[in-house]
Amino acid sequence: MKSLLMVLAALFAAALIGFAALGGSEESVISDQVKFQASRRVVPEHGYRVHEISRGDGTLVKEYVSFEGKVFGVSWQGPTLPDLSQLLGSSFAEFQGSLQHKAGRRKAAVVHNSDLVVESTGHTRAFQGRAYLKSLLPDGVTQEVVQ
Amino acid sequence: MAGAAVIAMVAGLAGCGSGNSSTSETPAPPPPVNNTQPVIVDAGPIVNGQAVGDEDVLFTMVTICVPGTTTCQTIDHIAVDTGSTGVRILASQLTLPLATSMNASGQPIANCVQFADNTYQWGPVAKADIKIAGEVASSVPIQVVGPSNFTAAPNDCTAGGTPAQTVSDLGSNGILGVGLFRQDCGAACASVTSPPAIYFSCPSTGCVIASVSVTEQLQNPVWMFPQDNNGLLIVLPQIAAGGAASVSGSLIFGIGTQSDNALNGAQAQAVDGFGNFTTTFNGVKYPSSFIDTGSNGLFFLDSTTTGLPDCGSQEMGFYCPTSTINLTAINSGPNPNAPTATISTNIAFAVASAAALFNSSNAAFNDVGGSNPGAFDWGLPFFFGRRVFIGIEAESTPAGPGPYWAY
Repeated sequence: MKSLLMVLAALFAAALIGFAALGGSEESVISDQVKFQASRRVVPEHGYRVHEISRGDGTLVKEYVSFEGKVFGVSWQGPTLPDLSQLLGSSFAEFQGSLQHKAGRRKAAVVHNSDLVVESTGHTRAFQGRAYLKSLLPDGVTQEVVQ
Repeated sequence: MAGAAVIAMVAGLAGCGSGNSSTSETPAPPPPVNNTQPVIVDAGPIVNGQAVGDEDVLFTMVTICVPGTTTCQTIDHIAVDTGSTGVRILASQLTLPLATSMNASGQPIANCVQFADNTYQWGPVAKADIKIAGEVASSVPIQVVGPSNFTAAPNDCTAGGTPAQTVSDLGSNGILGVGLFRQDCGAACASVTSPPAIYFSCPSTGCVIASVSVTEQLQNPVWMFPQDNNGLLIVLPQIAAGGAASVSGSLIFGIGTQSDNALNGAQAQAVDGFGNFTTTFNGVKYPSSFIDTGSNGLFFLDSTTTGLPDCGSQEMGFYCPTSTINLTAINSGPNPNAPTATISTNIAFAVASAAALFNSSNAAFNDVGGSNPGAFDWGLPFFFGRRVFIGIEAESTPAGPGPYWAY
């Protein structure tokens, strides 16, 4: 009981602190799970792990975690956009700053910087996207795994 | 021509009268309503003496009225968007007193729409009569975008995005969402267990995600017209390479309901439940592709896949080849009348340097391209020189039931 309370406390602390996801620690994934009010499962892959966070409305967020415990990539799909300020963490400001917001310009949000890549595409009812930090890709793992 | 109109109307009446067992004479059909609305691609609405629209945006005029009254307002430079559903009017442009819709708990209903460019529109739902050409949709739930006296957008709506709720930020006075679907959300938002973050209940303590019945959701006004309601047709002329300052065309309601909206050999391709179909390019299939007047370019794949250089800097995400590149792709989808058969159409298109095009004073271009990783987003340039039909979901048409594209 006490340990459960501690886990819950840790969960809420993580949620309140709002740990970054992309570029953050594996614990930040749990923060995202709490924030998205979702269920989570972990899928082991060669050289990394994938946390799959799914919500009843059809939203699926995947967070790609190295064995060192760093989130090197995230992807999403669903009827609405997930909170990218949460999901992109400390990279969000760079993402926003790189977008060219011109009135009425309606297209995918695509940022290909030296380290940060964000590709947010789709349309109402069906959004999808992915983001990764090249510098955090584990040895032998390519960006193609972030889907 | 007149004869064809009469035949189409008699066929329409026969379809509607199946429940009537009376043997009395068929009354003379009413004259057809005007189903054609002018549309224009131009530099957009004027703010402080400056046109604020972007390139390749299709505009029209919409008249909205307090339901059942003649208290009406006509608003120009409403963006015609086949990629979203529902009428959205900027609160700053609205002078009509429209009553906010309330849910069963007596709380205001609010709507959120997000776009992939990381912008959103937020605001209460209200009902209005929508008049376009001679067509009238009565008591249609619409979104009033960004009223200053309404509860702020919750995080579930903003999602880290940027509001586009002023004429300058949106580049239009509102959006006429006349896409493939009847509602902006549909059954998913009527789910009581886990509706997506599209509809909200707004007590004074703040707005929370809520389920909203399908009939109270934002509606595609076309399917609510009493006639010419099974789909629509967008007709825009071809334009020269280098673009045009403005382009005029037509938004025609109905498919096969009047003499001006016959399919005339246009090939229909059904879309999936999200409005997507498959585009094949260089032998690779991209099944999440779509057509969208609200996208102001031909956005497809990325520089690595296409070999087209990105413009970089101010026009990042657009392609800037040194000379115009001609390409082809194949769009395909099931025949709505025979879903096991696939209909495929070759599409030729061109991509010029977006930076060079944007340096001109033109507003319409048929060869602006940019990236959309993993899929094709056939934006407004696709429509120049084509007659493009949209079959609305669950509506019957001569090419079979919607949702489909035909061209």
